[in-house]
Amino acid sequence: MNVTLPTTLVLQAVARGHHHGFDVMDATGLPSGTVYPILRRLEREGLLDASWEDAAEARDEQRPPRRYYAITADGEALLVKARARFRMPKDVPRARGLKPRPSES
Amino acid sequence: MTVRRDPVTLRLCLFVVRAAARLVPGGDRDAWRQEWEAELRHRWMRGGISRTAEAHLVKRSLGSLVDAAWMRRQLTLDADLVHDTSHGLRLFANAPGFTAIALLVFATGIGAATAIASLADALLVRRLPIPDADRVVTLWERNRKTGVGEEDVAPGNAIDWVSKTMSYSAVAAIEPWSLDYTPRGGEPEVLSGARVSAGFFDVLGVPMLHGRAFLPHEFARGADRVVVLSHALWRDRFGGDPAIVNRVVDLDAEPYVVVGVARPGVELRLFEARREPTLYLPKYFLDFEPRIRGTGYWNVVGRLKPGVSMVQARTELDALSAQLAREYPANTNLTGEIVALRDHLAGGIRPLLPLLLGVAALLLFVACANVTNLLLARGVTRGREFAVRQALGAGRGRLLKQMLTESLLLAIAGGALGVLLAKWTLSVIAALRPADVAGLERIAIDGRVAAIAVGVSLLAALGAGVTPAIQLSRAAAATALREGASGPAARRVRGLLVAIEVSVALLLVVGAGLLVRSLHEIQRVDPGFARAQVLALQVFAWDRNTTPAKLASFFEETIDRLRAHPGVDAAGAVSAMPFIEANINLRSPIVIDGRTPSPPGDDPLIFTTVVAGDYFTTMGIPLERGRLLERGDRADARKVAVVSRSAARKFWPGADPIGSNIRVRVSGRQTEAQIVGVVGDLRHDALDRPARPEIFFAHPQVPFGSMTYVVRGQPGAGLSLQALKQQVWAVDPRQAFYRTATLDELVARTLVARRFNVFVLSGFGGVALLLAAAGLYGVMSFSTRQRSREFGVRIALGAQPGDILRMVVREGVTLALAGVAAGVLAALALTRLLRGLLFGISAMDPWTYAGAAAGILVISAAASYLPARRAVRADPLVTLRAV
Repeated sequence: MNVTLPTTLVLQAVARGHHHGFDVMDATGLPSGTVYPILRRLEREGLLDASWEDAAEARDEQRPPRRYYAITADGEALLVKARARFRMPKDVPRARGLKPRPSES
Repeated sequence: MTVRRDPVTLRLCLFVVRAAARLVPGGDRDAWRQEWEAELRHRWMRGGISRTAEAHLVKRSLGSLVDAAWMRRQLTLDADLVHDTSHGLRLFANAPGFTAIALLVFATGIGAATAIASLADALLVRRLPIPDADRVVTLWERNRKTGVGEEDVAPGNAIDWVSKTMSYSAVAAIEPWSLDYTPRGGEPEVLSGARVSAGFFDVLGVPMLHGRAFLPHEFARGADRVVVLSHALWRDRFGGDPAIVNRVVDLDAEPYVVVGVARPGVELRLFEARREPTLYLPKYFLDFEPRIRGTGYWNVVGRLKPGVSMVQARTELDALSAQLAREYPANTNLTGEIVALRDHLAGGIRPLLPLLLGVAALLLFVACANVTNLLLARGVTRGREFAVRQALGAGRGRLLKQMLTESLLLAIAGGALGVLLAKWTLSVIAALRPADVAGLERIAIDGRVAAIAVGVSLLAALGAGVTPAIQLSRAAAATALREGASGPAARRVRGLLVAIEVSVALLLVVGAGLLVRSLHEIQRVDPGFARAQVLALQVFAWDRNTTPAKLASFFEETIDRLRAHPGVDAAGAVSAMPFIEANINLRSPIVIDGRTPSPPGDDPLIFTTVVAGDYFTTMGIPLERGRLLERGDRADARKVAVVSRSAARKFWPGADPIGSNIRVRVSGRQTEAQIVGVVGDLRHDALDRPARPEIFFAHPQVPFGSMTYVVRGQPGAGLSLQALKQQVWAVDPRQAFYRTATLDELVARTLVARRFNVFVLSGFGGVALLLAAAGLYGVMSFSTRQRSREFGVRIALGAQPGDILRMVVREGVTLALAGVAAGVLAALALTRLLRGLLFGISAMDPWTYAGAAAGILVISAAASYLPARRAVRADPLVTLRAV
């Protein structure tokens, strides 16, 4: 699949322990319309595993269960390659500021 | 689990997600929605409390639209559409200023166009609750000499029209009729109804709600004590009880049998008052009625026979009128006029409607032009994007498709906003509607008009999308890599669009200005009487005052009581009350002693009026010569009369009428009198109609029962109508009042339609002006942004900011000037349509034109100044480096 900078950022965020969609957005600074399609693609490619959170815990908070994403072995392997390709230090926390703004180009 | 209500912001987010979920293919939808909802709710509980956090969450929920579109794309064939949609949404989100302006422009144009279309639809196209309503017509008199039409019909003419025409499957004469009704334990009131000749209910073609219509034998003397109630009267006075049918009701202290209740919603707006009858009685023609030719107070309605056209019916009525004009002198200048019921119901707004439809089309065009301009301007900043995409292999068709998708997105959102705006506009219009326009109280956006709006938005999208798309995709390959669609051709198109917008705005502002000035002029017209502090109370006092002597003493006594009432300055009464709806317009031939009499039946007509008490002083009508009618003019004294100035001028040209003896028919009797005075002229029906030649008699000498009391209060006395009624009830507790109002109200009523037209046209003129200003501002800010490098160079080379300001403003004003010139030409050609609505000024009034042009030029200068100032304030070094 096409490994872009946002894809790499999302994959890295999940690897670093951000397991839910909104948390990944917070970690990467990417908008929701970008993050979710990437998560879905990664899941379909077998780079991420997805499951539903325990129903009892959700019920306590009076909300539906959240979807939980975890990185697979294939995902880890891809992440290493992708980091090298984007020359990304291991702990780049946020992409904000790196993202080119088309309107300013 | 306790029931709780989510906070508004969370509900908004969830609403977006649920809406987006509809895009997700069925199999995945529930899981997809659950994931989004869980995240939103989780985040909310964790701390979505601060304002910024809330706003952030809303923005994030909007991303669900993109996510959903992405999901859909997995399964749908038209991946391009989905891609373009999500791409477009992202672009709009990235340019909130552009999006807001484009949406606003679209919404204003579509909203105004939809509102006008709904208005026209309500008045012209809507279904009347009458079968084959297009075949129902109203028949009126028209004066060929004065051009005044839609006048009530004289009984003699109405009877001839009803009995001698062949074009109608049913045709009926209608006579205004009123009856006193005293509810048990209530105050006496006057029910205004109508006597209708046989066939009336066939013209309507609507069955009764309860009971039946009149039977043939009921149209005869002695059998006519039957009544059909209107739906409103039945509901308000008789509790909406169906058992009322066949019951007896006391009207005018006589027993009447209720035979039926009419259906609601059937409106005819009859008689001078354009009021709906509240009850119907059978009408058969009396012996004397065919002889009444000069005084119109009946109405005629008919239903055209199948196969008979309006033209045929008109030809027949014209021929019949011509024949009557030869037979009766009173008919000399009269002809018949047929008005479709639908047109009649549109009332005073009718002349404005074709114009408004034109305005709607123009506004929509202006909105499209503006959005086109905005998209064109934005295209420049996106030139690079397109060029790159084309270089990477995107076909021209593909780029066109994307541009069209983006325009459609704008149009759909703009259309939805526009419908909301239209709805609001219509509720304002309904609140201000003139009383003589039927059907506006129910005006609403129905399915068809909504469909029109959607169609219009789609057309607008195509209009706004095609031009920039073609221009951009053509320019993309060659030039855009370097400079975008800024070539001279694009600039010319933009300039042309703005000039057209300005000309449309000028046209509308001139139209509105002409109407405003006409209203102003008409309000300066002196009606001939002083309006302030005067109350009018209309009574029909025939029933219990059965002899002339009783009538005379009833009015003398009541007027004395009114005059003695605390706070009252002066009081009187008159048979023909100016500006009252149910006016008594009696005319009679006048014969002047010592002149060779005209051939019999060919005497000129004069309006005959009876006055009691201090009518002239109460109304502030000035005495010009001789004396007023006085208390000494008693029944047994020599009969005297006073004439109005225009009567004096018409019947005694160059001579003094005082002392001359005349004979006229008044109050049903031939009367001889001597003229003793001349008073000022009075306007009677409307401020824009000329004063009429009028002769006044003293009430004791020619007693009359249909009178209107006029009472002038002392300044600040604050007279109460109820207290004045009590004074009359002290003489006769059963006397009912037909109409009570202040004189100011009566006069203002005649201006409502005019005010409404002014409001509508200036409202839409203002919208056009706003759109034109927005268009000019958009074009100028675009062109200054484009030329910022040039400005930077100029300033670096020593140009003063003032020079550049002047240059830019001059450019904008030049564009506007071109538009103003075109607009003036268009206005000169089109304001002719307004001629019927103008008063006291010409359709080419130079002040209106100059004012509108000057105003638009000032606004144009301001619209160009703002972007120019921004441009010269920018640091030249920055602009030089950035571009």
